[in-house]
Amino acid sequence: MNYNINQLSGQQQKTSSLKAVKKLYSLIAHEKRNLIIALIAILVNSSLQLVGPLLIGHAVDAYVTTKQYNGVLMIGGILLAMYLLALGTSYMQTKLMGSVGQRTLFTLRNALFNKLQELPIAFFNQNKAGDLISRLNNDTDKINQFFSQSLMQFIGSIVTMTGAGVFLLAINIELGAATLLPALLILIFTMMVSPWVKRKNATNLKSVGSMSAEIQESLNNFRVIIAFNRRDYFLKRFNDANHQNYNTAIGAGMANNVFLPVYGLFSSLAQLIVLALGIYLISTGSFTIGLLVSYLAYAVNFYNPLRQLAALWTSFQVAMAGWDRISQILSLQSNLTDRSTGETTALHKPGLAFQNVSFAYPNGSEILHHVSFDLLPGKTYALVGPTGGGKTTTASLIARLYDPTHGTVFLNGRDIRTYSAEERAKKISFILQEPILFTGTVKDNLLYGNEQLLKYNNEELEEVIKESHLQKLLSVFEQGLDTPVSASGESISLGQKQLIAFMRAVLRNPEILILDEASANIDTVTEHLLTEILDQLPEQTTRVIIAHRLNTIEKADEIFFVNSGNVIPAGSLDHAVEMLMQGKRAS
Amino acid sequence: MTPAANNRTTSTKKPPGVFSLLRPYTALVVLLILFALLGNALNLLLPKIIANGIDTFEHHQFSFSFIIKQFLLATVLVFVFTYLQTIIQTYTSEKVARDLRSRLADKISHLSYAALEQANPSKLLTNLTADVDSIKLFVSQAVVSIASSLFIIVGASILLLTINWKLALCVMAIIPIIGITFFVVLKKVRALFIKGREVIDRLNKVISESILGAALIRVVNSQQLEYDKFIEVNNQAKTLGLSILRLFAGLIPVIVFTANMAGLAILLLGGHYVITGSMSLGNFAAFNSYLAMLIFPILVIGFMSNVIAQATASYQRISFVLNSPDPIAGGTITSNLQGDIQLKKVSLFYGQKPTLKNIDLHIKPGSRIAVIGPTAAGKTQLLYLLTGLVKATAGVIEFDGHRIEEYNKENFYSQVGFVFQDSIVFNMSIRENIAFSDTVTDASLQKAIDTAELGDFIKSLPNGLNTVVSERGSSLSGGQKQRIMLARALAIDPRILLLDDFTARVDQSTETKILQNVLTNYSGITLISVTQKIAAIEQYDQIILLTQGEIVASGKHEELMNTSVDYVQILNSQQSTSNYESVSLA
Repeated sequence: MNYNINQLSGQQQKTSSLKAVKKLYSLIAHEKRNLIIALIAILVNSSLQLVGPLLIGHAVDAYVTTKQYNGVLMIGGILLAMYLLALGTSYMQTKLMGSVGQRTLFTLRNALFNKLQELPIAFFNQNKAGDLISRLNNDTDKINQFFSQSLMQFIGSIVTMTGAGVFLLAINIELGAATLLPALLILIFTMMVSPWVKRKNATNLKSVGSMSAEIQESLNNFRVIIAFNRRDYFLKRFNDANHQNYNTAIGAGMANNVFLPVYGLFSSLAQLIVLALGIYLISTGSFTIGLLVSYLAYAVNFYNPLRQLAALWTSFQVAMAGWDRISQILSLQSNLTDRSTGETTALHKPGLAFQNVSFAYPNGSEILHHVSFDLLPGKTYALVGPTGGGKTTTASLIARLYDPTHGTVFLNGRDIRTYSAEERAKKISFILQEPILFTGTVKDNLLYGNEQLLKYNNEELEEVIKESHLQKLLSVFEQGLDTPVSASGESISLGQKQLIAFMRAVLRNPEILILDEASANIDTVTEHLLTEILDQLPEQTTRVIIAHRLNTIEKADEIFFVNSGNVIPAGSLDHAVEMLMQGKRAS
Repeated sequence: MTPAANNRTTSTKKPPGVFSLLRPYTALVVLLILFALLGNALNLLLPKIIANGIDTFEHHQFSFSFIIKQFLLATVLVFVFTYLQTIIQTYTSEKVARDLRSRLADKISHLSYAALEQANPSKLLTNLTADVDSIKLFVSQAVVSIASSLFIIVGASILLLTINWKLALCVMAIIPIIGITFFVVLKKVRALFIKGREVIDRLNKVISESILGAALIRVVNSQQLEYDKFIEVNNQAKTLGLSILRLFAGLIPVIVFTANMAGLAILLLGGHYVITGSMSLGNFAAFNSYLAMLIFPILVIGFMSNVIAQATASYQRISFVLNSPDPIAGGTITSNLQGDIQLKKVSLFYGQKPTLKNIDLHIKPGSRIAVIGPTAAGKTQLLYLLTGLVKATAGVIEFDGHRIEEYNKENFYSQVGFVFQDSIVFNMSIRENIAFSDTVTDASLQKAIDTAELGDFIKSLPNGLNTVVSERGSSLSGGQKQRIMLARALAIDPRILLLDDFTARVDQSTETKILQNVLTNYSGITLISVTQKIAAIEQYDQIILLTQGEIVASGKHEELMNTSVDYVQILNSQQSTSNYESVSLA
């Protein structure tokens, strides 16, 4: 299955604005109550803003021109009360909508991260870490900015505009219609330009993602860059990405800035229309100067928010482009779904069995062809073969990091796909070729993902470690369980990392323990300790060992020779070595 | 330690002004502000034109076409100026962002490995992305907005003063009130922004660890655990976001309210003046329009102060990287290395913990040296010292009688090939991965490929050398990655080759063949190999046994067999299968 989101993006992009709005709404639907209150606050706030100039216009016409100062004072009192009310409502609207934005950001990031956790390992092989980080941080933040800053103004502006528009028409229908004409032109212009703007922004976000991927890759591999004197390489790759990003950002910036001047132009034209037509109407006696003054204010009330909409519309387009990138991930489905026992065949064999299994990586040639073999409980198996022969792939299929393209893997007679991830993880431990540690202490890493021992304190854990004969390995770490460990960096050696990974897997007490080059960087004396520990595992534990050092596999009950798509029992170690040599000569 | 700490405190006391960043772009910024001001000045004139229109109309001296021409001209000019302004704005802000990123990258590219690890890659990622973005926002929005807002405020104030100074003063009283409110709120916000960035760093770290550890997470089914970790940090981000929001939710309404009070003052006082006849109706209308004009820029300054606060916080973080001390300038010696390496009383400490203690070692040119020892003995760190990736805490490392620091770095690295223990491949073609250094010729590339026994593998790929390797090399097997790493080190035709446990993931027969190839194809090379297997190094000129950071024995195989108990123990641990290995050696 193809999980490359940058390749997929071409296929699934074309979402209409309306559909996207619906999707965005579904994100905040559960905030209905807050949204309604915020909406009321916005409505009240906007109407208060509209009524203000009306009252002032009324005061001018009714009291100032007739020199009744009491009336002016009365209106002043009403205005003061209104402004106080607006103080409250505008606080409410900012706070409510802002919180909705923050919570949406929170939910959206969680949903994305959760999706990342659901997706199989193939997804991570096909996508770059930096690009994913950019989608999780940068793109979600674009949506947050829209929700928390723009949406409220967006609605506010539309409400104010509609209100102002209605007033304009109500006061004088002809003048009103003429004033609103430029707005219609703006609407047409916006509809025509928006898809282009969104596209430009999508391109830009994509290049932001690639830049972030570039940084992530280079910084994580900085040692090589220094040792090979390729600081210039880092600079060049980065500068290419930076330059690419600059170009797309200019493109997006040009697109985003197209609205503001055009909106400004049309609003000025509208003012001119009001002035010209208003003065004409006054000269025909159907309009007063007082009305013209407040009419001008309404025209401003209509076109100022419209001008703001220019900026908000841009932020909406950016959010839409970000949303597309996020939904590309959210819409991915894991192809490693669990099956029910009903729809699969059963096999009456204990232990693990491969039946007619074939496997190919996406866009790659087939690694395993119709492979069948059985692993019985309590036995030790070794997989040998030339590098790139398919040993790790076979092990990964046992641990169900991938599903076979054909055939079935059985665990205790049941299709391995019928086990829940939790059951499977309990039964199978896989020590990966590259040990993975998380920043924390040795203890944190030993107990990583181990629910059974998680609550143990140091003494209790040390007891368990002793029972599992692991105490000698622990003594390699100066501060024992509390030795600090960092995921990157030089605080501990690769050999030590492998020791932690080994202890972690043994402490899980699995039915099947897979060691993929688990002791490759461990000295041979310590390696003997590992072999002893493996010998002392509970009787029913199946061990699957992948190693290049033959001494680590000499005690295996059976040795499989894995090469060019086949897994063949070798019979004896001598025969396995012979096959290795033949493989060399053949290739 | 103390001088560094002092430095830090002074830099927090005096955060670098984000405005100082704009100095190299003065011309653009001036142009930008000029167009913005021109546009705004004309915008200010519009109400005046309208007011004139109303007044002249009242006095029956109305010239319709004149007003229209005036207004149209102003409108079109406003359009042109605004458009030019937005274009320059985009260019300037993107340029500033691009150049700042380049400067950062340049600085980072000169960091030593230790400094980079200390600076923390997750944080540098935020520096290069989110931090630069907030500065970009500052340039694209804040500079112009603040310049034009100040202009409008001053301009409108002057116009107000010329119309009626008493009323104008009343209206302008809002400015200091608003200023003080901003000052108080923003001071609080700034601290929160810095915290916010730190939370983003942590978020990046959790995400990137969960991506790099994706395989383990799936094997042990710890998705929930990762999710919980993420939620915790995400929650911090939310809480912080809400605190910032609360401050701003209070700020804006207070400002609007204050501005509204000014409107009220105009009505009450201005109304009074009109009634008493000391002010015209047209001017009264103009006063209202100008107030409407005043409110918006004041609000803008409010929003922009948010942007400035964020940009300042970000620039402070970026400056910290930019101003970190440069690594001591590299030396100047350029010469062909002979491979005579001498370590005199070399120690390496990480914090209080000694990794290597008092190492004395002499390596003769063209010799083959093996370093063996238990896990965590300091073997890898010894190689790091020899490549200058880390600096010795004490002691001297000399190549051909000159200290390692005295060598020109480029010259030095072009002669020292290092094969790392863990595989590092880049998301590019196999050719680029091997010919990673730019000095590699086609001939030396081919020689390296042949030596590393990669020819058959590369031939088997549909695109051969041009096959692109995925990030973290997930499409290659461990042994293939390891051999690509070896080819990468050999492709520079090194004088000195450092192998860190190179053979760990390569089978015995391939290993023997490859090492034989190295000796034939790169004669005279000085080879230092960290390894676990004695069989392969029995013929070496010197074997060094390293334990807990100390050399406990050194000499040829036969010597060590007689003198070192530890060595014999290691050998014994490998004896049992030597029969099989000799078979595979055949």
